[in-house]
Order: sequence, then structure tokens, then C-alpha cells
Amino acid sequence: MTNSLGEKTLADQRSPEGLSVAGGGTRRVSPPAGVRPVRRSKRWGQRFEIAVLSGPAIIIFLAFVILPVGLAAYYGFYRWKGYGVPTDFVGFGNYALIFADKAFHEVLAHNAVILVLSLVLQGPLAIVLALLLNQKIRGRSIIRVLIFVPYVISEVIVGTGWSLMLQTNGAVNGLLGNIGLGALKTDWLSDPKIAIWSLMLIISWKYIGFAVILFLAGLQSIPEELFEAAAIDGASYWQIQRRITLPLLGPTIRIWAFLSIIGSLQLFDLVYIIWGQYVASTAGTSTMATYMVGQGRNAGNYGYGNAVAVVIFIISLTIALIYQRFVLRRDTAGALTEGHK
Amino acid sequence: MMRKLRGAAVLALGLGTVLLATGCSAGGGGSSSDGKVTMTMWQNSTTGPGQAFWKKTVADFEKTHKNITIKVQSIQNEDLDGKLQTALNSGSAPDIFLQRGGGKMKAMVDAGQVLALDDLVSSETKSAVGKGAFSAEQIDGKTYAMPVDVLPEGIYYSKDLFAQAGITDTPKTIDELNEAVDKLKAAGIAPIAVGAKDAWPAAHWFYNFALRACSEKTLNEAAASLKFDDPCWTKAGEDVAALNKTDPFNPGFLTTSAQQGAGSSAGLIANHKAAMELMGAWDPGVIASLTPDKKPLPDLGWFPFPTVAGGKGDPAAIMGGVDGYSCSAKAPKEACGEFLNYIVTQPVQEEYYKAFNAPPVNTAAQAIVTESYLKSVIAAYNDAPYVSQYLDTNYGQNVGNALNTGVVDLLAGKGNASDILTGVKDAAAKG
Repeated sequence: MTNSLGEKTLADQRSPEGLSVAGGGTRRVSPPAGVRPVRRSKRWGQRFEIAVLSGPAIIIFLAFVILPVGLAAYYGFYRWKGYGVPTDFVGFGNYALIFADKAFHEVLAHNAVILVLSLVLQGPLAIVLALLLNQKIRGRSIIRVLIFVPYVISEVIVGTGWSLMLQTNGAVNGLLGNIGLGALKTDWLSDPKIAIWSLMLIISWKYIGFAVILFLAGLQSIPEELFEAAAIDGASYWQIQRRITLPLLGPTIRIWAFLSIIGSLQLFDLVYIIWGQYVASTAGTSTMATYMVGQGRNAGNYGYGNAVAVVIFIISLTIALIYQRFVLRRDTAGALTEGHK
Repeated sequence: MMRKLRGAAVLALGLGTVLLATGCSAGGGGSSSDGKVTMTMWQNSTTGPGQAFWKKTVADFEKTHKNITIKVQSIQNEDLDGKLQTALNSGSAPDIFLQRGGGKMKAMVDAGQVLALDDLVSSETKSAVGKGAFSAEQIDGKTYAMPVDVLPEGIYYSKDLFAQAGITDTPKTIDELNEAVDKLKAAGIAPIAVGAKDAWPAAHWFYNFALRACSEKTLNEAAASLKFDDPCWTKAGEDVAALNKTDPFNPGFLTTSAQQGAGSSAGLIANHKAAMELMGAWDPGVIASLTPDKKPLPDLGWFPFPTVAGGKGDPAAIMGGVDGYSCSAKAPKEACGEFLNYIVTQPVQEEYYKAFNAPPVNTAAQAIVTESYLKSVIAAYNDAPYVSQYLDTNYGQNVGNALNTGVVDLLAGKGNASDILTGVKDAAAKG
């Protein structure tokens, strides 16, 4: 958006005669008074255009994002069963309960584990796969497709499929028994010590394709000349990857990590499909989102559930803002365009 | 250029308004000026004869009531309660819906979302349906749902598997049940199937132990006060823990669901992979839909929950629910009442029994029950000194949810008997 005050100062700066010499922009030094009327009508046109183009998106954003957030904050201050209009105002009572609830501490820990393990497990593996697939190897496109397919399949299908295979009397245990590894048979989903690792396995399998595709795209954008120059200077393959590829892949990796962090914080569907509405906390795989549904919808405590939603929102927003401020800033700094140029 | 833009703007604004307007207006059926009435109905049979029953019943009803149209929607059982609550709150409730009763019904009544049926129940219906069944659908003397079947709980078992394990008589006491479990294990059969993934099937073990441990008075008082300080509640939890120590449940029960597919607890019974299951009287129907040939399991038997020493509850008391159907507050009153009266008439109730293998609520229709297990269910129900609603229904969604979760935790070795009651207390603070 333009701002009339800024315009004036700009015009004032331009008027000295020295500018015509230094910038060579004689054409720009025209009397401001002559320009203004034209600009004004143009500005209205521009404003109108902006309103028309962004209007629908803004309406939808307000109606389906901002309004629900506001409503959740409102309901979060009430003890409310979800029937009729809330009347029992409890202030920050729900929030006090949330932070005192042992089950909530557990879900925070689970989310933290999922967040860290996602980065640690998927990141290096995806980079290695991307480097491998960036070579000219036989069957490269087939391998690419195979790695990317799990990402395309819906969460419900993935969850149902894996939960059937990992059942105590399911295919995985059957296979282990048949190939003589019966000792490895275990309760993949019900044993609290193992369940979270099963979940990480499924998450990694599902989302690694996305990371690989991102990294491949990042690799494509690194100029070939750099590798050639390094090779001529006698750098080995590993030196090239370490000193050139990884640093230049940095922005892609940081964006991927951001998406992965947000995804880990909001993880819901896979857990809900595999462990159902009730037993995720028992199996040690509950997340903030399943806690919200369990305590809010299943228990019918809608006021409390809304308060949990607000807490999740604040946690996610805080982490996202911190990450943007300290990690992503150098990547986005040059990418933002100013309003008028 | 400008004119085009302006046109687009008007179009976009218009579209936005339409989107918002349609988003906010949704509603159930209603009557139009020409006397025609359209109603929607939600029921929980998604497969087999149960779903066919509702389709046929509605079609027959529409034949004799030309001005009424009913749209039947099948909602998966585990999804029904949540979807129903959302629909009731958003004012787009179905006109007729499955009513679980107890605390859930009370919450709906308090919010003015269901219709009182007292003026609508016909005298024929009143004489055909037992008073006991109606009392389960009443709050402060007013009736809010039409009962359709009685669902007493007990243990369903496979007679073949019992014979295979050398068990000659059904267990009467909890010690005899433990012996049966040992014998089944020795024969390499999973003794008891439980769908703990859905939580409530596991919690029903706690409910039945509580029925034996607590007096009728304690059970009823807890429904009003939602306080569980009586020592009998801890005893019930300890009884569950003691049973769990014998490791009687099917392997991987924590991720076993109750009714979905051959791997569910009902599916395990249907395919002779487990010998027993504690369930309500809807179970034979569910099991029948999961047998390889989709026919009722021929060797299915039933016995009441065993007696437990040292309890204050009557040893013959029984736990059971009543399935009913309610009209939402916005439903067309007369039409809804007429349909509910229709579904408890003798011919429809006989069809109901055939479709669901569950004891019908119409006493005349009960006479045609042939299966031995259903006969014993009805006999035990009629002999019981009192019938308690399922506790999660009785004590409302919040406490029920906490009880269910606590029992599952206990079975999985996370927490003990008193943790169940602590969980209930914590939940009470949240709502």
C-alpha cells in the first residue's frame, strides 16, 4: 500500500538538482503537482483491483480461520457441554487445568519426540536418497515414483493398512515367524515402549517422499558449473557434496524442516486412525490434537476442548514465529517484494 | 477494463455472500404447505439385515402414510454420538435418531433438543411395551424416546470351543470363570475377546464388577452425585485387575476394535478365534454379520455375568441398556410420533428381532424368539431384581469417557484401580 506521507518525502528527495547528475534520471524530476491527479485515479483503480482480487480470499480466510480462532478463545473461557449457549464462565480455569493435567504433559512429550525424531530420521535419509536419485542411475524414475507414492496415498488408507499389518496377529508378525525371526514378534501397536517407534516408522515411510522431492528440486537449481569448477580443482565427490551441495541446499532443507515441525505439532490423522478414539494415550502415541479431541469431543467437554485448541494454536504459532525469525529470515529476506517499485 | 473489473467484483461479492449464506443455513426436514412431510432418520446399522430392516420398515410405513417421506441414513456406530451432537448443536439434527438414553439423553433434554413423546405414544403401544423398557427412556416422568429392544448384557461364548477345552458347564462364579480361562488357554484358544480399541467393551468388565460390588442404591446415588467414594468402586477396579492378571484376553486386545471386521472382538467369536465375549444383546446380530457365511453362529451360547464373592450387589442383578428412538425438537411432531408407534407394533418387532437377533421390546413379539441364547437372555432379564443402565451411559459422556479410558489403562498395565477413580475426578473438573 502506498502512503501519502512517504510519497511526499520521496518527492522531496528527488527534487534537488544534484539527482539529475548522479542518477541520470532527469525524467523522474517532474513537478509533483502535475503528477498527483493522474496518480490518484490510478491509485483508486489499483485499490479496487487489489480489493477484487484479494477480497474472496480474505473473506474465506476471515470466516474459516480467524473467526474459528476467535470463537475457540471465547468458548475456552467457559465450562460448556456443547449444548446450547455457554453460560458458566470460568476465566482461565480451563487453562489452569490443562497445564496441571498429567495427560497433557504426556502429549507434549510425545509431540516433542515426534518432532525431533522426524527431523533426525527423515532429514539425513532424504538427503542421501536425493543425492542418489540425482545421479544417472538405471530405473531412476521408477525409484522416484516408488518413494513418492506413500506421500500421495491418503492418511486414512495408510493408517488402516499399517494397523492391519502391525496387529499382533497381523502380516508383519506372520512374516517374521515364517522367515525364522519369530523372536522379533512383538505387539507393534499396543506395547507402549514400541508403539511410538512404530508410529515413527509409518510417518517416515509416508513423508520421506515429500522431503526427497523437495531436495531433488533444490539440487536441480544448483548450477552445474560449480561442480565442474570444483572437480577441475581436484575436489573429491564427498568434498563436493559437503562443501557445495549441502550449503546450497540449505534454504530447501530449512523450509522442509519448517514444514516437518508444523506437521509434527499438528499430527492427528494417522494416530487417530491407527489407535482409534481412546487408546492412543494408553499406547503412548497421543498427540496434542488427539488429546483435544479426546477431552473435548469424546468427553463432551467442549469448553475445555476449545481451551486446548487455543493452547495448541499458541504453541504452534510461537514455534513457527521463532523459526521464521531466527532460521528462515535469511532465506526470505531477499524474496519479499516491496509494495511499489 | 474498469467495467469488467467492476462486474467481476460484484460477482465475487455475490458469490461470497451466497457461500456464507448457504454455510449458515442447514436444517432437517419439515412440512410443506401441501401437507407432505419429509423426515430424516439416523440409525447405526451399516451392513446386512439391520440396514435392510430399516429400509423395508420405512418403505412399508410410507405405503400406508402417503404424505410422509423418511430418508434413512446409516451412521457407523462409533461415529454416531459425535456426529449427532454436532448436528443437534448446529440445528441440523435428524428428525428421528437412535437414542442411547441415560446421561446423554439428559444433556439433550436439558438443552431442549428432543421432543417429549408422552402425548404421542398410543395406548396400543403402551400396552404392548413393558413399563420397564419405558422407564429407561424417561426423565422426571416424561418419555423422550421410544424403546425398540432390550439389551441385557452377559457373556456370549462358543459352545464348540468350550467343548473342545473340556468345559462342561457354564461358569457361575468368577472362580469358575478363571478355571474356564485356564482350560481354554491349555487348549490353545484365546479365552476372552475384548475390543479395547473402542474402550467401552473393556470398560464393561468394570461396570459388571461394579454391579456385583456396589448396591443398587450406591449405583443410583452415583448417577446423581457423580462421586465415586464408596469403597465398592475400588473393589470393582481391583476385581478387573485380578482378572487381568490371569491374562485372559485375546493377544493385542488394545488395538482390537469391537465390531469392525474379522479381526474385531465380535469377528474373533464369529470365526472361532476366541471363546467368550462380554457384550450386550446386540452381539448375536453383529457376530452373525461377521461369520464367513454371514449367517448366525450356530453354536453361540450365553450366560449371565458370574457372581463375585464379597460384593453388595444382588448376584442376579443384570446390566443392560434399552435402544430407543427419539424425535428432535424441530421434527414434525405428529408424523414422527406415528412412525415411532409403528416400529413397536408386533409385525415390525418380529422383523426387528429377525434382523438384529436382539430381544424385541414388544412382549407379544418376544414369543417368537427361538434361539436358546436369546431365550436365556430374556429369562435372565425378566428374573433380575433390578436392571442397571450401562454406567458410561448412566453417568454421562464426561464421566463415562473417563471411566472407559481408565479401565483401558488398567488393562494395559498403566495405572491401578484407584487411578480409574482419580481420572473420573479430574474429568469432572473439566466439565
